[in-house]
Amino acid sequence: MKKIEVVENVLQANDAVAATNRQRLGRAGLLAVNLMSSPGSGKTTLLEKSIPALGPDLPCAVLVGDLQTTRDAERLGPLAVQAVQINTGTGCHLSAPQVSRGLDALDLDGLAFVFIENVGNMVCPAAFDLGEHVRVVLLSVPEGDDKVAKYPTLFQRADAVLITKMDLADLMEFNLERVRQDLARLNSRAPVILHSSKTGQGMTQWLNWLRQQRFPVTSGPA
Amino acid sequence: MHEMSIAIEIVHQAERIAREHQASRVDEIEVEVGVMQQVVHEALHLAFEAAVEQTWLQGVKLRITEEPLAAICDDCQNTFTPQIDCFVCPRCGQANARITAGDQILLKSMVCQTPEETAES
Repeated sequence: MKKIEVVENVLQANDAVAATNRQRLGRAGLLAVNLMSSPGSGKTTLLEKSIPALGPDLPCAVLVGDLQTTRDAERLGPLAVQAVQINTGTGCHLSAPQVSRGLDALDLDGLAFVFIENVGNMVCPAAFDLGEHVRVVLLSVPEGDDKVAKYPTLFQRADAVLITKMDLADLMEFNLERVRQDLARLNSRAPVILHSSKTGQGMTQWLNWLRQQRFPVTSGPA
Repeated sequence: MHEMSIAIEIVHQAERIAREHQASRVDEIEVEVGVMQQVVHEALHLAFEAAVEQTWLQGVKLRITEEPLAAICDDCQNTFTPQIDCFVCPRCGQANARITAGDQILLKSMVCQTPEETAES
């Protein structure tokens, strides 16, 4: 028997498509945002509020990943944005080829943002590059203040962390300091934005952050 | 259960590599899993068994090893060994780490029967 030394990236097929996606999105002059969180943390609600607030000068499209149903895409329908539902079946995360096919269904011309709403899951999506430019992780108050330490790889790679449903913080006795301390051990790069889609708290900071992220993409080499 | 996606990719790659080397039999596939991938070894073994079933690699042994973390601090350029729950640079105290190892899943090696061996025996 002979041992063949190989050393190949097992996710190379995904990563190659991710690189192509990133180039394609960058060439179109738009920013791709990968939104990751557990189910029910408020990803779709955040988009329902953010897209109208960004206004007609910054048009958006959305790729929505879910195991089943087109409910999220239907919710985004009234905003008159392009929304494509990607059903993963039993898959617990989006992959770069799925995003590539989703992009085929969009007219990218003139868009400022593509939001990729990942499958609600705090483990698996972290391992798969989709070709996004930035990764945003949402943690909602009702999930509890212990989740950063429990899912370190997701938070370590985040470019921004949104603590959502902040209007419930007092009610839930949410310990924000604990979240900040846990994040400080993993990632001091990502801003922490305290957000509530209900009261509008943090909305300006979130939208400003998003707008700022566009500069490297739009001013970079073609 | 992203282990299933990973297992399917391992089988596809192993089949291609075996073909390239004209292997008549594969006994073992060695995969090195980075700590950051959060792969549950037992789940990957189970997923691999399912993925390899009804391929000609059926029965091959999967050996999983773990690649530890390494990182460079993007603030002070210090090279250090983070822990999965702590990426604070021991020199400057910031957690602005760029991971340099422990972030990938690598197909490292395969133990195969090749045509030369068949000819010799």
